[in-house]
Amino acid sequence: MCEQVNFVDILEPRRTQSGIFSFMSRNWYPQRTQILDRYCSPEDLKNIVENSAYLDAIIEAECSRTGVNKAKLQRNVHSYLEEMGLDKKLHIIRWMGVIFLKISFMMKIKMFVNEAAVLNLKSTIGKNPVLFLPTHRSYADFCLMTYLCYHYDIDFPAVAAGMDFYSMAVIGRRMRETCAFYIRRTLVGDQLYAATLKQYVRTLVAKHCAPIEFFLEGTRSRSNKSIPPKYGMLSMCLMPLFAHEVTDITIVPINISYDRLMEQSLFAYEHLGVPKPKESTGGLLKALHNLNDHFGSIYVNLGNPLSVREYLKNNTLYTRETLKPVDLQQLTNEQFKQVQSIADYVTTLQQKNTVATISNLLSLVLMQSVIKNEPLHFDEVLQEVNWMATVLRHLGGSVFENDVKSSVERILVVHGKMMRLDRQRRLRLISGVLMDMSNDIEKKMKGHTLQAQTMAVAVPIIQLQLYVNPILHCLVSPAIICLIVHKNLVDKVKLEVDYHQIRKMLSHEFFYLEHEEENRFSKALEYCIENKVVTYNGDVYSLGEDTKLQYLLKWSVWPALTTVLKCAEIMLKQCSCEHKQALKLVQQDVELARCHPYCLSLEAATNCLQGLVAVGAMIKLKREQEVTYEVVPTVMENCHSIIKSILPQFAVEFGSSNAVMLDDRTLSRL
Amino acid sequence: MSAAFASSTDSKMKSNNDNIRTVDSVKKKGLSDKNKKRANNASGNSTVIKVKSVIPRRRQDLLKWYGWGYKDSMFHLDGINACFTGNRYSIGGQTLPFLAQWAIDKLGVDTTREPKIPKMPTKFPDSRLPKNIQAELEKIALVSVDGMDRLIRCHGQTLKDMSQLRNNSFPRIPDAVIWPESHKQVEQIVSCATRHKFVIIPFGGGTSVSGSVTCPAKETRPILVLDTSDMNSILWLDKEQLLARVQAGIVGQDLEREMRARGFTVGHEPDSYEFSTLGGWVATRASGMKKNTYGNIEDLIVQTKVVTPRGVLEKGCRVPRISCGPEWEHIVMGSEGCFGVVTEVVIKIRPLPPVVCYGSLVFPNWESGFYFEREVARQRLQPSSIRLMDNEQFRFGQALKTESTWGGVLLDGLKRLYITKIKGFDPTKLCVVTLLMEGTSEQVADREKKLNAIAAWYGGIPAGATNGENGYTLTFVIAYLRDVAMEYDVVAESFETSVPWDRTLALCANVKKRIEDECRKRGIDKFLISHRLTQTYDAGCCIYFYFGHNTAKCPDPVTTYEEIEEAARDEIIACGGSISHHHGVGKLRKKWYTNTVSDLGRELLFSTKKTLDPDNIFALSNMAFEEQTNETKTVISKL
Repeated sequence: MCEQVNFVDILEPRRTQSGIFSFMSRNWYPQRTQILDRYCSPEDLKNIVENSAYLDAIIEAECSRTGVNKAKLQRNVHSYLEEMGLDKKLHIIRWMGVIFLKISFMMKIKMFVNEAAVLNLKSTIGKNPVLFLPTHRSYADFCLMTYLCYHYDIDFPAVAAGMDFYSMAVIGRRMRETCAFYIRRTLVGDQLYAATLKQYVRTLVAKHCAPIEFFLEGTRSRSNKSIPPKYGMLSMCLMPLFAHEVTDITIVPINISYDRLMEQSLFAYEHLGVPKPKESTGGLLKALHNLNDHFGSIYVNLGNPLSVREYLKNNTLYTRETLKPVDLQQLTNEQFKQVQSIADYVTTLQQKNTVATISNLLSLVLMQSVIKNEPLHFDEVLQEVNWMATVLRHLGGSVFENDVKSSVERILVVHGKMMRLDRQRRLRLISGVLMDMSNDIEKKMKGHTLQAQTMAVAVPIIQLQLYVNPILHCLVSPAIICLIVHKNLVDKVKLEVDYHQIRKMLSHEFFYLEHEEENRFSKALEYCIENKVVTYNGDVYSLGEDTKLQYLLKWSVWPALTTVLKCAEIMLKQCSCEHKQALKLVQQDVELARCHPYCLSLEAATNCLQGLVAVGAMIKLKREQEVTYEVVPTVMENCHSIIKSILPQFAVEFGSSNAVMLDDRTLSRL
Repeated sequence: MSAAFASSTDSKMKSNNDNIRTVDSVKKKGLSDKNKKRANNASGNSTVIKVKSVIPRRRQDLLKWYGWGYKDSMFHLDGINACFTGNRYSIGGQTLPFLAQWAIDKLGVDTTREPKIPKMPTKFPDSRLPKNIQAELEKIALVSVDGMDRLIRCHGQTLKDMSQLRNNSFPRIPDAVIWPESHKQVEQIVSCATRHKFVIIPFGGGTSVSGSVTCPAKETRPILVLDTSDMNSILWLDKEQLLARVQAGIVGQDLEREMRARGFTVGHEPDSYEFSTLGGWVATRASGMKKNTYGNIEDLIVQTKVVTPRGVLEKGCRVPRISCGPEWEHIVMGSEGCFGVVTEVVIKIRPLPPVVCYGSLVFPNWESGFYFEREVARQRLQPSSIRLMDNEQFRFGQALKTESTWGGVLLDGLKRLYITKIKGFDPTKLCVVTLLMEGTSEQVADREKKLNAIAAWYGGIPAGATNGENGYTLTFVIAYLRDVAMEYDVVAESFETSVPWDRTLALCANVKKRIEDECRKRGIDKFLISHRLTQTYDAGCCIYFYFGHNTAKCPDPVTTYEEIEEAARDEIIACGGSISHHHGVGKLRKKWYTNTVSDLGRELLFSTKKTLDPDNIFALSNMAFEEQTNETKTVISKL
């Protein structure tokens, strides 16, 4: 996506004396997503759901199955709706807006929005329901989207929020009043709840005239990159289209990129297995004072609206479900596959709309210098950032940057706790501190109990990796080609076979669409040849001259490939292993082998295990709550040897002996 | 006339919770596996209401194996005393002081001797179902080759069926019984039959009175009875649109009970509805007592899904009406099992009426009652049910009266006095109209006023709600009479027809006369003929005949009866009546089928069969279909 995009900081106009209050108290006439004869209040919506033929039929069936009194089940439905239902109180929203702006200014945030896209969207909405599908990297995503809608006079999106917030004092209620609706994380075991939610979401989409916003990935991606989408919520949302209750549904893929994630250190610890603290209002207040810092820019990039009907080529499949009452109509298997395909496609659209921030570029540069074990001088850093930007642009990434030098300086302030220039103006990564591992935390550790030293080394690297991750999706394909060719000369057939095999093993670590891969492969190969990563003599491929680019490509997938290799090794040894146990063993092994600290990530290990399942090297068995893997030895050995043969070798120490690492304490002592 | 609340109509059939569906221990294992599977299936957001049927899988545990209805309910004669046993019906457990005398006078019954009650058979023909097919079927659903299971599903409720059942003299009984639970399983069973060339007979409640479910005697292939009674779930219920999709095996009383519990009614009440099934209604083009309000089965049904050997027939949309050539779904309506199995039906439901009330009117004679009915139909003022009983039936109704208090007797006496002495009605001629009215109290009151006004014009006078209510209550009890009759050497049967208004009076008179003649010809002097007008339409009505005679002088009572009935039907057809209003053709009335539908109609029937069931899997040989024997089969194949 090389087109020039104009981002506008929508917080800028508020930075005046009375900017906040007059803006938040202005008359506000939002644009609705649908023009209907009758508009439903939040209470109306709940009533419609409560009295729907669907829930009545479900209740009747449940009554006859379990013998529970009907009135009781109706009360249950009522209380579920009270729990999930959104509310809308404009004065609350206005006050929340004030607080949002205050905090934003405290965090010294700039909120860049692709204004042209928003205006374009506004000119098209009004005919059918709209779904906002932003990436989810931070809790701030909610607030940003709601504020954006207020700014551009779009009716407040109904946001699907996890129950974690529900239990927060005051905040839970206030969020509901700003149009959040609550959903439980797991629907297993309570059919009536699942049915209520299904009907509520369906009603919301069909009858609530505001955008519906939820996160396809279902959770914040702890790794700051796209994770495979969940399909449940989208299927509920698209039901009105499949039931032809609405003419179309518009999906707006949105990418939100952060210069600095508020949650970065929490995420780093979560990767290592330290559980996330429970959301609470107290916790939020405590976190507030940490926000008095520089958090840089946030880029909200709205993609082109996608008409689901057009995407399905008007082929919303006539099904026998039409014979049922419309309320009782369910997705057929074919339709569910269509939903999956939409979800996957939207995820790629989100990726396409990724804005590579200077944070990302700088992190790439810094990570490379860590791996090379060579600190770079500030001027070299600038050069490298520019080079990285060019590389990314060639790979189709979008980089929003005008003035590299001032931006890098700005980012150095933003990420002052993670990296800094030393006295020789060389860019250094600040090493971690030994963490107090209380018994309490140790008990809660999800994986292997890592040594404090390991964690201290790992945390800064993982944090840095978080900012490398969002752009890896551009690099993965050429990187794999580069590594295969690096190993030996190959012809096209062999290259393609190996590529697909490896890519599939990484299918969960780096989101991919199977049917797109052929195309991606040829594009990546083209890129590699054009950019002299590989050359082709008409017969076989061999390495090209651009060793610098080769180096970048090789290390970019190094942690992921190492993790796959470790997983394969563990599984070969174990033959059959429970998921949790496998994770522990991988962590243990990585700790001993002193691999790239990102290999300690439980998320990465999980993704790699899934990848191995995808290629058929293991079989996943679900028993009760436990997931167990059974190795298919021949396939697994094959996978293992492929990965082992192409795995790049970097002799690097990540601890304090690394020349790029900077011990903050020694510094302060100096 | 007094108003009663809708729920009180339930009292005619007391609930029997103690009757849980039971299976013997051998079957239990299979069943528990099935339940597990079902529980898994239901784990989604299911709208399926699994109905617990009153009728157990071992029907003989609850139902009389050798006759009609419940085991515990029957007429019992003991000298001059008579009673009706059990507590399921309002006359249950009460003595009937006038019945025995009536039986003696009318039919020459010797009430002093023991009733002939047959012994449950212990020997049955061996099952011809090959073991490998049985094993294949067992993988699909529960199968039984138990003799009793097979015997009680080889027949309907015709006189011949009953006679053969009592003597255990069926020439052919099915070789196995299978209980599918879903449409999918039915598809599997039918495809298995196509592969292995065996015969399937769909079996619902076994209440057919046309011989349609009776096993074809000459069939040489194995016969599998597909008992639909486990397919009795309500798949969904939409109270807003007043529709329900129901599996076709649901028994009438179960369906009605489930609907009533939720404030609705289907309103389809054929006299057999305690035992007959939804699918059976469709397959026979059934008619219910309250069709004036709720419609006949063809009006009640919005959609049907049928499994035929060539695939599934179902419209692709669920609409109130469609103009799209002939309605192919209607092909199964009245198909009497010859084309396939009805598996699912979308049926209309109605909110329960706030008021249900009975009434009765007395007319000096049949003719005046008839013209009253004609006028009501002309003005389209029919209440849910309106029936005219002839004098014989009126008197039989009196004979079924239970002992009552002195006050009651006194009141009856006064009424009789008023009607016969003051109004001058001849007690041997007067006829009674019974009414069942439903609606809001205003609607009911208004309708009652109008009907009374018309009645007055034709010389009728109101005769109270109780008489009306008794009339309807006895509807369900009358079916038990045939059993007691047989036990005392009387054969009795009913048959019906539909006829245009202008031919009705003549038809009634001619048929009565013809039966009398036929009896006299055969030297039968103790017999009973009675008729009533049970349904009215714009263009005509339905006449129901009851005929019974003492068989003491008959060497072969069943054949004698059948000859007389045949003669009666010939007379009916000659008088412009039809082959049947709602019982169907079956095997009993094949003779008149072609004339009724024309030669071309018969060819259409054959073509349909060829399209839907070319291998004659559903070899029930009803209507125009001949029984297929090996010889005819080879002839066909040579052709």
